[in-house]
Amino acid sequence: MNQTTTWMACMTCAILLVAATGCSRDFLDRDPYIGSSAGNFYQTPEDAEAATIACYAPLQVEISAPGSHFRWFFGDIVSDDSDKGGSGDTDAPDLLEFENFLGDPSSGIVLGEWQAAYKGITYCNIALENVPGIAMDELQKAAYLGEAKFLRAYWYFNLVTTFGEVPLVTKTLAPSEYAQSKAPVADIWAQVEADLVEAAADLPFKSGYNFNQRGRATRGAANALLAKAYLYQKKWAQCRAACEEVIGSNEYQLAADYGSIFTLGGENGPGSIWEIQYANDSGGNWGAQFWSEGSYTNVFTRARGPFQGYGFNLPTQDFVDEFETWEEEQGPGNIVNKVDPRLGYTVYQLGQVASDWGELTEEAIGAPHPYYARKYFNPSAEQAPFGDPNPNGASNDRVIRFAEVYLMHAEACYEMGDASTALFSLQEVRDRAGVPELNANLSGVILRDAIWHERRVELGLEGHRFFDVVRQGRGAELFGEQGFVEGVHEVFPIPTAEITLSNGSLTQNPGY
Amino acid sequence: MIRQLIGWASLLLLLGTSTLAWSQNISVSGTVLEGDMPLPGVSVTVKGSYSGTATDLDGEFSLTLESGQILVFSYIGYLRKELKVMDTVTDLKVLLDPDVAGLEEAVVIGYGNQQRSKISGAVTTVDIKAATSVPVLRTEQALQGRAAGVQVTQNSGQPGSEQTIRIRGLGSINNSDPLFIVDGIPSGGIDYLNPGDIESISILKDAASTAIYGARGSNGVVLITTKKGSRNSKASLTYDSYVGTQEPWKFMSLLNAEEYAVLMNESRAAAGLPALSGLRDPASLGDGTDWQKELFQRAPMTNHSVLYTNGTATSSSAMGVSHFGQDGIIGGEKGRFERTTFRVNSEQQAGDRFRVGQNVNFTHIERNALAENNEFVTPVVRALNIDPVTPVNNEDGTFAYTNYIDSDIVNPLNQVAQTFDTWTTNRFVGNVFGEVDVLHNLTFRSSVNVDLSLGSQTIFRPAYDLALFPGDPNRPATEFNEVNSLVRAENKWSSWQWENTLTYNKEFKNEDKLQIIAGYSALEQLYTTVSASRDSLVSNDPEFAYLSNSLNVGPQVPRASDGITETAWVGQFVRTSYDIGNEWSLMGTLRYDGSSRFGLNNRFGLFPSLSVAWNLTERPWFDEKAWIDFVKVRGSWGRNGNAEIGDYAYNPLIVNGINYTFGSEQAQTIGSGPVAIANPDLKWETGEQVNVGLDADFLEGRWNVIFDLYEKNTLDMLAYVPNPATAGLEPGPSNVASARNRGAELAIGYQGGEGDFTYNFNGNISAYQNQVTDLGAPVDSLNQPLYTGNVFGAGDFVAVTDIGLPIASFYGFETDGIFQTDAAAAASAQANAVAGDVIFVDQNDDNVIDNEDKVVIGNPHPDFTYGFTAGANWKNFDVNLFLQGSHGNDLYRGMFRYDLNTTNLPTSSLARWTGEGTSNEMPRLTHSDLNQNNRVSDLFVEDGSYLRVKSLMVGYTLPRSLMDRVGIAKFRIYASANNLFTFTQYSGLDPEIGTRGTLEIGIDRGFYPSPRIYNLGINVTF
Repeated sequence: MNQTTTWMACMTCAILLVAATGCSRDFLDRDPYIGSSAGNFYQTPEDAEAATIACYAPLQVEISAPGSHFRWFFGDIVSDDSDKGGSGDTDAPDLLEFENFLGDPSSGIVLGEWQAAYKGITYCNIALENVPGIAMDELQKAAYLGEAKFLRAYWYFNLVTTFGEVPLVTKTLAPSEYAQSKAPVADIWAQVEADLVEAAADLPFKSGYNFNQRGRATRGAANALLAKAYLYQKKWAQCRAACEEVIGSNEYQLAADYGSIFTLGGENGPGSIWEIQYANDSGGNWGAQFWSEGSYTNVFTRARGPFQGYGFNLPTQDFVDEFETWEEEQGPGNIVNKVDPRLGYTVYQLGQVASDWGELTEEAIGAPHPYYARKYFNPSAEQAPFGDPNPNGASNDRVIRFAEVYLMHAEACYEMGDASTALFSLQEVRDRAGVPELNANLSGVILRDAIWHERRVELGLEGHRFFDVVRQGRGAELFGEQGFVEGVHEVFPIPTAEITLSNGSLTQNPGY
Repeated sequence: MIRQLIGWASLLLLLGTSTLAWSQNISVSGTVLEGDMPLPGVSVTVKGSYSGTATDLDGEFSLTLESGQILVFSYIGYLRKELKVMDTVTDLKVLLDPDVAGLEEAVVIGYGNQQRSKISGAVTTVDIKAATSVPVLRTEQALQGRAAGVQVTQNSGQPGSEQTIRIRGLGSINNSDPLFIVDGIPSGGIDYLNPGDIESISILKDAASTAIYGARGSNGVVLITTKKGSRNSKASLTYDSYVGTQEPWKFMSLLNAEEYAVLMNESRAAAGLPALSGLRDPASLGDGTDWQKELFQRAPMTNHSVLYTNGTATSSSAMGVSHFGQDGIIGGEKGRFERTTFRVNSEQQAGDRFRVGQNVNFTHIERNALAENNEFVTPVVRALNIDPVTPVNNEDGTFAYTNYIDSDIVNPLNQVAQTFDTWTTNRFVGNVFGEVDVLHNLTFRSSVNVDLSLGSQTIFRPAYDLALFPGDPNRPATEFNEVNSLVRAENKWSSWQWENTLTYNKEFKNEDKLQIIAGYSALEQLYTTVSASRDSLVSNDPEFAYLSNSLNVGPQVPRASDGITETAWVGQFVRTSYDIGNEWSLMGTLRYDGSSRFGLNNRFGLFPSLSVAWNLTERPWFDEKAWIDFVKVRGSWGRNGNAEIGDYAYNPLIVNGINYTFGSEQAQTIGSGPVAIANPDLKWETGEQVNVGLDADFLEGRWNVIFDLYEKNTLDMLAYVPNPATAGLEPGPSNVASARNRGAELAIGYQGGEGDFTYNFNGNISAYQNQVTDLGAPVDSLNQPLYTGNVFGAGDFVAVTDIGLPIASFYGFETDGIFQTDAAAAASAQANAVAGDVIFVDQNDDNVIDNEDKVVIGNPHPDFTYGFTAGANWKNFDVNLFLQGSHGNDLYRGMFRYDLNTTNLPTSSLARWTGEGTSNEMPRLTHSDLNQNNRVSDLFVEDGSYLRVKSLMVGYTLPRSLMDRVGIAKFRIYASANNLFTFTQYSGLDPEIGTRGTLEIGIDRGFYPSPRIYNLGINVTF
């Protein structure tokens, strides 16, 4: 072997080795071009805002991989206000089981609700941990933190009213802490109150936001939710005070026309305290709604057939009958039968024309149901112009309205023995609706029932009924026939999967 | 990286200018023959030197060498011969014997070749000549049934649809696709190849064979080389062409209009509903529309392929061009697939010790596609489900819509007419390489490989309206589209790779041989995409479907988005093989691989393997068994990886897009935050495999047997171990799960006959058992089975992947007949059941039928798959038969949309329960199915076994005497048929149902069936 070639061979090998070890580590460092990584985020005021907005995103989730969790599932369908509907009993059968108080803890409905809540809480915790360190305008920072606190309180309010005792997580957890046990209901309420009190102090008024920021948490929203938290705990005096904060702020007034509230133009209107915002959004995708902005409520509540809906949330006769009817003399001898005008804005009946969709007929729909929920039965003109129309509803979810603040105020005043103030607030709501004046001497249980009645019709099919009835201690009385058992069905079951995943830290609610 | 390039370049220059001195002594010339026939193109080399030549057209050669050196004669298909030459000879006659059993055939393995008789791993080669002698639509198809241990299933019968290749079972619950290497270039798929360009296909199955591909080898490797021409060969031009017609070969037996009306009326009556107005008089409806007949059609296909090869003493080249076009049996041109390929391969000797060359391929693919294989929007599922009462067209010729079904089930022919979905792909795959013999036994090779694919997608959705009159409120929502819209997307996949190898060969005096290959490889992959959409285009004509033709400049924001991902790899490897005489072959491989996909704590992995082969026939006592030509036993062990774990998967990403909308304008506001929990330990999935095998040849090489047994354990499989919701974010992937595949493979071949009549057959059979062994949760009760395959008609997931079960087993309720009486139903665990409903077995006897009662109801994995080919030649005629089958796999019948109540049904529904004793198999029909009779149960699981006559061909080669006169070397015409017969019990349109992703196997969602094809073709060689 010739020396030159031997040398060459050795060189070649040497270079191979150098090539192999030289720059490979740098060569392998690849970071994504789209998005940032945790290391370089939470630095600027823009990051603070983006972290805050992320807290809102889980609010829009209605359908997620494990299941659906519309507010009106538990609030309305499980109550006596409406029935499940859909194409038949096999369409979302687990919802039918909940309606009949035979709910399955392994159902995706409770799991979807649970997961969305904790996902929302997690983004609030992330913002609350990371935003304080960002150098920026302190007022603005406090407002961002106020928004995160308001949203965290909203989720815990939902959790405690839906499931009772639940884990209380107020910081980002380490893997060893993932499995949490339940916290007492009192602790959760205390957290809700604390968050809302702080949020109310730091959040701007509704008027402090421009019209393109409508939907953000406001001082009024924090006080209204705080009032509701007190209402549920029967802390009447605090409830009354919180309601009066809202009423006295002069930020809100009842929309003159009840019917306008549930139109596109009525969104974030004068009587709107807080709404979950939705936009027509193509690309809505079954099971991946976390990333889209549209609502499924529209398509779920519209009638089937040419109305392009799935026909869920069908009002019951009992609910329809709750609306007042009276006779009114219009000129001599001309007695007209009147009905609470809110019925027409809450329920569509067969034979009526559903906005620009045309007449609701059994023939067209192919189902014999007499009533449909109207509030989210949006006109066809509002349909997304693009792509699969199904998941792309734009109707905001009216979570808290000024009318409810009046009704909470009325209830708190009544419970505190101030019947006349209670009646005054109640009458505000009735006047706007256009129903007859109540007897000014109304008091006692009759007044309380009048307030409760008013809640049912004013807030009908907005997801309140079940929780109101349970709060009022009337579950067995009103839902007994459906299967409600006292001491069990006040709360829904803890999702089986979560109990399993917590490896025993979580326990099932009694009776399930 | 640049510095290294310069280093390499200067090294190559240095090597090129160095000189070597050789003395010359004697000259030898002569002829190489088989019998008395001269053999042209035989390689004649001097052992242990660079000197060499090849025989000319008359089989003659001449050469100078040193006295006492050894001449080596080798030629493909012949046994190698060595001759020691002492003196000058001028008329040396060398006789070569044909290698009937192919023992000396060079088999392509990773980074080199190996003689078949020395292979110690599990490598299968596909007889590509036989596979492509019949029309092959896609390269993957050439593998089906022709290689033991390789399972190929079509994902759809639509032209251009992908096929799934699984080597030795399912290697992973995540990605089980093998690695494709074409001429040394790692390729994302092989759909761009013209099957006629392929020279060889080797499939590396065991870990020892694939270990040299390290972190990417564990799902097996498919090695393809393309035709390159050979040195010292005559110029040759071949033209292959066929034209064919395709047709559907089976329709499902569905209700006709009258039967449909009867059953729907009954179903509605059972729910207390009146008959629908159009269905009240079933007898008047007659047969109605046969939607399957209306939807399916005959469709043409054509193929033209030209290949030119040439070889001189110092170079070889191949150039080819081909065009393949296939229409769909649904929609014709709406499902058209066209593939045009151009290829130039060449290699030149540059001086004594340099060789340079390139393999370059350009492919243009144009594909129109219809939706396939889902139960929502495909023409097939719509044709199966739409009622037979509705006609295809109204009297005025416009498409009709159905009044009986809403939601997804609409007129499939209108859907076909309104679909304008086109993919155009331009793909360049090629490399340039140089080789230098540093020493006569040390070769350095450097190759730069590029794979660039540009894919454009256009989805145009025209405006249309099936309303009978303007604004007709009764038209179904999905039968009109008021505003047309367009999506255009541009995708780019690009990768470059730079590979350098050093190969050292040493033959020792005692005939032992040593080979060492060491190499370094760097690879970078980049994917980018841009997509934009607009609506309100000026024209409804798809030819003018361009974004800028949108009239909508108003409030609608044009939507645009893009994406980018990047991956980098480096690998270093060394493989040593040592042959002890002809008796023992040992091989060991080490590869050290790193990838940007792996977390910072696990950037690099080491992948070792060992294998050994023992040639028993070298033992003296075998000489007495004259009928045994060759017996070899093999054993191997190795560990490798599956790196298809996704880009950036370990990275704690802040995602922009956790958005919310505010205000009356509902303006999107960007929200940002993490989505998943990070995992810096993330790494490849590890495959560990043990293989033992036996190769044997009998009776002068006429019989040939290959048998393999293996166990393959996949460890560190990625799974998302779920966290409680209180963790907040999605779990990140972690390397926690494992699975096992055990299997056996047998291939037997026979070649018989002589002279005018020869025949052969080859059969192979493979079986594997697949099981998930761990899902990674620290406590068993926390393991979360993976539920996949959501079937809408059943409203639930059909498949489960759980510990102890085969991957993606069918999972649901066991049934036990039909309740014959209301009393029996009332006494059961099913609260809502009445007479006529299905009895579901209460597995845990808790008197409730719920998820706890679900059991495994089927296995989508076959007990075994097999292939069989038989061929015969008699004078100028040739015949070839190819059978392929699968046995023991279950299929889930998920194509009927029971959730919609009024869809059409299979005729088996006529045997429904209508009263006590009428049926114990088919439940009653009811619009109010409280019992959920159509939930996931064994009623929908069918045996998916089939045996298919994949192809049958008869060819005739025109007599040579005739052809010589017109200057044609060979002219063959043939007729062939694909999928001529299919033997199966399965009721659906096609039993050969592939996968959707990894965890959905054998679920029929209205499968687009593969067509039966008749072809006429010619092969001409000039």
